[in-house]
Amino acid sequence: MAKSKNLIINGSGSYSGGSYDKIIIRGEGTVTGDVECSLFKTYGTSEAVENVKVETMKVFGEGEVKGQFHAGELVVMGTMSIGGKALIKKLKVRGMLDAGERLYGENVDIKGSIAVEGDVEYDTFHSIGSFEIKGLLNAETIQIALRHSNSTAEEIGGGKISVKRKSALLPFFKDNGSLTAKVIEGDDIYLENTEAEVVRGNTVKIGPGCTIGSVEYVYHFSQSLDSTVKVKTKRA
Amino acid sequence: MNEDLLSKKDLLELTGISYGQLYRWKRKDLIPEEWFIRKSTFTGQETFFPKEKILERINKIQEMKDNLSLDELADMFSPSITDLTLDRDDLIKRNIVSQSVLQFYLENSRPFQHFDLSRMLEVYILEKLLQSGDINLEEGKMILEIVRDSATETRQKKCELVMIRKLGVSSCFLLVNTESFKVESGTKIVAQLSLLHCLEEIKAKLL
Repeated sequence: MAKSKNLIINGSGSYSGGSYDKIIIRGEGTVTGDVECSLFKTYGTSEAVENVKVETMKVFGEGEVKGQFHAGELVVMGTMSIGGKALIKKLKVRGMLDAGERLYGENVDIKGSIAVEGDVEYDTFHSIGSFEIKGLLNAETIQIALRHSNSTAEEIGGGKISVKRKSALLPFFKDNGSLTAKVIEGDDIYLENTEAEVVRGNTVKIGPGCTIGSVEYVYHFSQSLDSTVKVKTKRA
Repeated sequence: MNEDLLSKKDLLELTGISYGQLYRWKRKDLIPEEWFIRKSTFTGQETFFPKEKILERINKIQEMKDNLSLDELADMFSPSITDLTLDRDDLIKRNIVSQSVLQFYLENSRPFQHFDLSRMLEVYILEKLLQSGDINLEEGKMILEIVRDSATETRQKKCELVMIRKLGVSSCFLLVNTESFKVESGTKIVAQLSLLHCLEEIKAKLL
């Protein structure tokens, strides 16, 4: 496929889809069909009505993909919303990302916030922001730093899971973050400021600020004094 | 749902795998989403699996994960037909089909060059059923017809081929995404075959 064409919209415009090398939108642009390109940059507002397949996408303003999204890398500095299933190998969110269905790939790095209606499946999941996940958060290593507001996930599962609070940027602004999940399962779990019904793991460490319904562990369990764990069971 | 369920806890204990592994395999699509059955129990939410299927799948993964990458394994378990073609001699060499069944298959098909995976599936099903002696050649033709006609279904869904006989008259069905089925007492189920299984077996022979 010869991808030599570029699509550049300065001002406002609407184009049909197709295959391009670069798409750059400064202003307001709409792409009405399926589109494939190597680089997609939005400095204003962009909307793709159908599916998008892209190697690298950068959104500095507002981006929207209504269909399925397929990307090697996505950087969101502003806001971005995706309607369909999204495979994003490397995801970096400094603003906000909304996904309507499953979100999956290799690495996520969140310093803003994400809201996902389906499951989130990654090899590594790092968040210093907040998230709202309606399905399962599944990753090999999950590292969550709670800085502000409440993050939620229906279920969290993986190998190594660590949830730590992190002081806010402004010391007088006392709004500690927290995490709520129904079930947390992993081999190696460390939690702070977390509210969960069930935590299951091989080694489970409950740090300060947690309210846990029940903990099931295999090898090791420890608990900070200012956390409550109603039931703990050691599994043979 | 009439199959036995196995809780995640028991599964990990039985198979000796860790949470991390289980979640990794789920992430890589080695274990289908439908097998994760979430239920509330008195100890809180717990996930259950269809016992037989999950144990068999995990056994297979453990057996083969040393030789194959997770992505290759995922390809193998996926029901979608990959693009791969072989010629007749290869099929015999790889033990997918015997000479006589192959001959029968060729007689009953329009001429073609290479075997793609859907053709391999057709011929493999025939091989299995004819060699076991469960069906005769006439019935073989019937099966061939239905498998061929529903190729689009078998490509994506889990299908099961069922052959029944009553008072010497035989008939066959292709069940698509069916949990279970019953036949009346006078009817004999002559053969029952999961196409997904067959595909896995073929793919295992190809690798």
